[in-house]
Amino acid sequence: MPALAARGLRAGYGRGADIVRGVDLDQAPESIVTVIGPNGSGKSSFVKTLAGLLPARAGSVSVTGRDVTAEPPARRVAAGLAYVPQEANVFPSLTIGENLKLATEFLRGRAGVGAEQRTRVLELFPELGARLRTRAGDLSGGQRQMLAFASALLAAPEVLLLDEPSAGLSPKFVGETMEAIVRVRQTGVTVLLVEQNVAAALRIADEAVVLVAGQVSLRAPAKDVSPADLGDLFFAKVA
Amino acid sequence: MAAQLFLNGLVTGLLLALPALALTLIFGVLKFANFAVGAMLTFGAYAAWVANVQLGLPLFASALVAAAATALAGVVADHFAFERLRERGSITLMVASMGVSLVIENVCRFFFGNASRGFDIPPSRPIRWEGLRINHEQITTAVTVVLCLIAVDLLLRFSPLGRAMRAVADNASLAAVRGVDRRVIARLTWALSGALLGLAGVLAGLDRAIDPLIGWNYQIPIFAAAILGGLGSPLGAVAGAIVIGVAEEMSALVIPTNYRQVVSFTVILALLLFRANGLFGAKAARK
Repeated sequence: MPALAARGLRAGYGRGADIVRGVDLDQAPESIVTVIGPNGSGKSSFVKTLAGLLPARAGSVSVTGRDVTAEPPARRVAAGLAYVPQEANVFPSLTIGENLKLATEFLRGRAGVGAEQRTRVLELFPELGARLRTRAGDLSGGQRQMLAFASALLAAPEVLLLDEPSAGLSPKFVGETMEAIVRVRQTGVTVLLVEQNVAAALRIADEAVVLVAGQVSLRAPAKDVSPADLGDLFFAKVA
Repeated sequence: MAAQLFLNGLVTGLLLALPALALTLIFGVLKFANFAVGAMLTFGAYAAWVANVQLGLPLFASALVAAAATALAGVVADHFAFERLRERGSITLMVASMGVSLVIENVCRFFFGNASRGFDIPPSRPIRWEGLRINHEQITTAVTVVLCLIAVDLLLRFSPLGRAMRAVADNASLAAVRGVDRRVIARLTWALSGALLGLAGVLAGLDRAIDPLIGWNYQIPIFAAAILGGLGSPLGAVAGAIVIGVAEEMSALVIPTNYRQVVSFTVILALLLFRANGLFGAKAARK
């Protein structure tokens, strides 16, 4: 059974045209799939639709076999689907400790959420545990990204959706972020990674999905995809 | 004279602090200026009057009834009006709050008429201390407000609900993907704001006669206080309320008391012109 599945997913904003145009996805458990594509190809809209922030106009989303298409974002988290947005992914007026607390407070009853998971997550991101009283708004971009990962992981998700985690980070932090994603996968979490930094994403992913104009134009093992070959694909016209 | 005015202003400011806090909570969490604060305050005053005068309950119990009734009124208003308009933007919600305000005011007028009413409490002599005259109502107001402010501060800082409210104020979409149900938080914010406005109505009823326009008398100072503090900032709302209360009372030294609301208008105008984010503006702007 796929950890994450989408069938004929279509979505858009307001009364505008569809941005996501019939995307299918089957992601194996504990894999990293990267969704890449040119600007405006619908990558972020796709991942927002999976998270429930953008309503699906058609199609379905399921997590470990459970259909969550009609569920609001909060219930999708309880179903095992965590999401880290591209920007504004922590609560700046809350401290690190409060951000972490909030991540589980409304998920009581979900298996795996609790003190053990908190210990495991703080082991993954040890710098957070030492600064629990620091306001999240005072953190650097890289530190915020770690806090955002940690907050999402505290929900003990089956699937973690990451929207451009390297955006705006220095090359040093991009490397650290990618390493953190690999560590997260090693804990048994399935990761869907939307990335603009194609080379970095392909290095850690098992599979690549190329999205152009809201449609899947290529799906292949990441090791078989060369960033140099993607130019033609990115700018190809999709019917 | 100046010391007496300062004391009166402090108590007036504390009275304003509760509705200003309610206004700023709604603004912070739900992102619109609720013009129904005055009407909800009126509703609270009448609810307490019914409990106190018609049902014969003591004032303390009547205040609890007023808080509960106004909290319920807020939740009902959210269910029938604001929730349906949540995605339409802050201007639509603000206009809707004007409509809700008119409905509440006219419901009060329909059931209670235009006559002035007062609570059934025994008259008591004011306390004289160091040349100052302190009414029992002023002491009741100050103690009630300070206790409420401490309770709200503890709730916002240390409870899961408070954290969720601050999180929704920061970023509602992110809160949703952290498992926070925005609808539930919106309802609870209305309930909390309603309770504060209900209590403010009781305190206003101790200060002056209860009539359908009692809330309107406070509307401009409430907005001036919340804007002065920085809309969305609870601490700012309280600080702004005390500044407005003291400034309004102290203005009696230089202008006739009939014109003291000029102070609130002037503060709003000056802030809009020179510091739109208010005293605690940076925080409010970030939210």
